[in-house]
Amino acid sequence: MFVKNLFSAIMATTIFSLISALIFLLLDGVDVSLTEAAVGAGISTILFLSTLKHTDVMVKKSRTPSFPLIVLFLLLLGLLSFAVSDLPEFGKFNQTSNSQVSEYYINKSKTEMGVPNVVTSILAGYRGFDTLGEVVVIFIAGISVLGILRKRKSNS
Amino acid sequence: MRHHTIPRIVTKLLIPVILLFGLYVQFHGDFSAGGGFQAGVIFAAGFILYNIIFGLDIGKSILSVNTSKSLMALGVILYLMVGFLGILLGGNFLEYNYLSNTPINGQLLGIFLVELGVGLTVSNVMVLVFYSFNDISEEK
Repeated sequence: MFVKNLFSAIMATTIFSLISALIFLLLDGVDVSLTEAAVGAGISTILFLSTLKHTDVMVKKSRTPSFPLIVLFLLLLGLLSFAVSDLPEFGKFNQTSNSQVSEYYINKSKTEMGVPNVVTSILAGYRGFDTLGEVVVIFIAGISVLGILRKRKSNS
Repeated sequence: MRHHTIPRIVTKLLIPVILLFGLYVQFHGDFSAGGGFQAGVIFAAGFILYNIIFGLDIGKSILSVNTSKSLMALGVILYLMVGFLGILLGGNFLEYNYLSNTPINGQLLGIFLVELGVGLTVSNVMVLVFYSFNDISEEK
């Protein structure tokens, strides 16, 4: 937001991705951390930099945010901060969303699937249908990018 | 980039390691961290690095745009096939228990094939997006 040079902005995003990958790693979310490091810090940086080739490196003029926008932002921030107090305690075991399903997955994954990594057994096994939808979404996204960025036939 | 010595040498050393790590994450995803999605991205990142250093022409001679498109679709088809195979062999859609002689083996086989489909699709989508971003810059 405060960086005028887009190149430094991209580097800041990359560093942010790497740091959040480290945070995920410390929270024992190794799979998420691996994804964040590969997608956030790897591929998206490359794509941002390829986009940067088509535009100017510097931001032309920075807009000063208008007064109603600031009020709206502060209002939303206050509302969200107020809602945070209703969230369950971080990592608490006995809450509703943690009590039934995840316990089943953790206990049964080894005997039902023979797969020690619970994340994999949930993603590909128990929630296989969701993952199918995810793959189809990625496929459609790839097709869309190809459609938008395809080479124009040289008739102009 | 081919004339820069340090990036070229470092890339040459790194690419086998990156690709091997991608394959490890792909095929060892049941037992350690990772899975098809992560492996696909890592594999694509290695290939894109090769493209950046040695040029898109050499990269496209290894994996052409059309091959990549077919492989991208093949991943989704493989996933769906595993799902329908479950129905054909007497179970529900995406039920892996019937794929092999014992349910555990069926689960392992099903998860393996499904992850392979995910990996194929993801890596080829990434490579294709990279190709099409750079095709534009060639036009200008």
